[in-house]
Amino acid sequence: MHKLSLFVDQSSLIYKIDPISKMMYAMIAFLTPYILPHITAAIAITALSFSLLLIGRVFRHIVPILGVSLLLILSIVIVQGLFYPDNATPLFQVMGLTFYQEGSEHALLLTLRVLNMLAACGVLILTTPPDVIINSLMRLGMSPRVGYVLLSVLNIIPHMRATMARITEAQKARGVELEGNLKTRLKSFFFLMGPVILSSLNQTRERALALELRGFNAHAPRTFASASGAYPLYKISRVCVVILLLLVVSWRLYL
Amino acid sequence: MSIIQVENLKYQYPSAEHLALNNLTFTINQGEFIGIAGANKAGKTSLCMALCGLIPHFFKGAYGGNVLVNDKPVRDTPLNNLTDLTGLVLDHPFTQLSGAKNTVFGEIAFGLENKGVPRKLMLERIEEVLHLLHISELRNKHPFTLSGGEMQRVAIASALALKPDILLLDEPTSQLDAARTTEVFRMLANLADQGTTLIIAEYNIEKMALHCHRILLLNTGSAIDFNTPRWVFSRPDLNEHGIVPPLITRLAKSLHIKRDDGLYPVETREFNALGGFVDA
Repeated sequence: MHKLSLFVDQSSLIYKIDPISKMMYAMIAFLTPYILPHITAAIAITALSFSLLLIGRVFRHIVPILGVSLLLILSIVIVQGLFYPDNATPLFQVMGLTFYQEGSEHALLLTLRVLNMLAACGVLILTTPPDVIINSLMRLGMSPRVGYVLLSVLNIIPHMRATMARITEAQKARGVELEGNLKTRLKSFFFLMGPVILSSLNQTRERALALELRGFNAHAPRTFASASGAYPLYKISRVCVVILLLLVVSWRLYL
Repeated sequence: MSIIQVENLKYQYPSAEHLALNNLTFTINQGEFIGIAGANKAGKTSLCMALCGLIPHFFKGAYGGNVLVNDKPVRDTPLNNLTDLTGLVLDHPFTQLSGAKNTVFGEIAFGLENKGVPRKLMLERIEEVLHLLHISELRNKHPFTLSGGEMQRVAIASALALKPDILLLDEPTSQLDAARTTEVFRMLANLADQGTTLIIAEYNIEKMALHCHRILLLNTGSAIDFNTPRWVFSRPDLNEHGIVPPLITRLAKSLHIKRDDGLYPVETREFNALGGFVDA
């Protein structure tokens, strides 16, 4: 079954860090280029995020995600380089269009922010299974109902896709035309979606029953099967994250 | 000591034209292993739902009479409180899975986590049911990747882990092969010996005849009989209620092999002791 997750199942130092520390790191990394609007700070935190990806041995898995953001980065460079309001110093010309130094510097800062966001997110989502992230949030007090919705979406959507594939095969076997021009495809969509939606509705009702019987609405304080302190670098990573936060705040206040 | 008392229970689903349960009255004692037999639409599933409180708390509709579980009236007791007493395994194992867990271990833990069972006790119970259902090797597998039979065993394990006083099972072996079905029935019989009250709605008459203490025979929502397997399967009118008696009983009927009390045997050993011969 195809999973709705970017988690890479392997082992490295970053995998020994608890999800909350990684989430804290991602938040600090997100905010740093805004707290410290200098290119140096943006470069430093982006470099740190990419270093963590390298240490975590998941760098190559972030590359496709960066590739997707390439279009956004390209548009930032073009728009800012050409039309940034403070543009004054011409930098270079391409096909008669002048790119300015001020706009290009701003574009660099924005690009670093985008790369930093993706890399910081990557540190969290590439090295932590989604259910572990959500369970950690539930331990911190997130509603179990919200947690269930998030977790079930991650599991049930891939299952619905598999059901869709099975129904597609079954309809093909019955001779339903599923490929061809737009009209044929629209017609086939009805034949495919009908059984998928009906079976999903039925399953949802039965699953709701099963959840009720398994104490989903119980009022007792929730417990967890997984140990809370199962991460060897739990304490040291928390200290590191707090130090990073203090460094960022100190830089902002005193430098 | 009675753990379930049903008095004049009537129930009709909101959009239905007929009663799903029609004036049922019976008592079940603690530690009894009860089989519910009947044709399609006999009311087996509805009765299971009514005994665990899903009717009337989840399914609305017209409800009459009284169901007492451990002396608590089902109608007036919140479903949350009833789920501490009763567990239900439905026939479709896929929808029994929470859909929120990535491993069989986590899936079994789901109900225990919801009910706030302390972690140490939770781990003990999970190991116990993994062992009991012979699914230890599945513990790290994703529940959605399991076969129907494996899912069914996980669903039973998830219900058992909650240690309910009363376990209701609606066709729990529909996707199991013969060997696994035998295993599950033996395991259930052991649970009944240990004091858990078991109520199973099944089409597997052979297994019910072997293991159940009493059989409740239903037809279109009404109780036709509630007695020992021998008594119920010796009835001459079983076909009218959509039931085919166990093979041994059919054989005994055709050979006129009866016990002293006039009832037909339901198991091979008894049949052979009465002068018949079937190689077990």
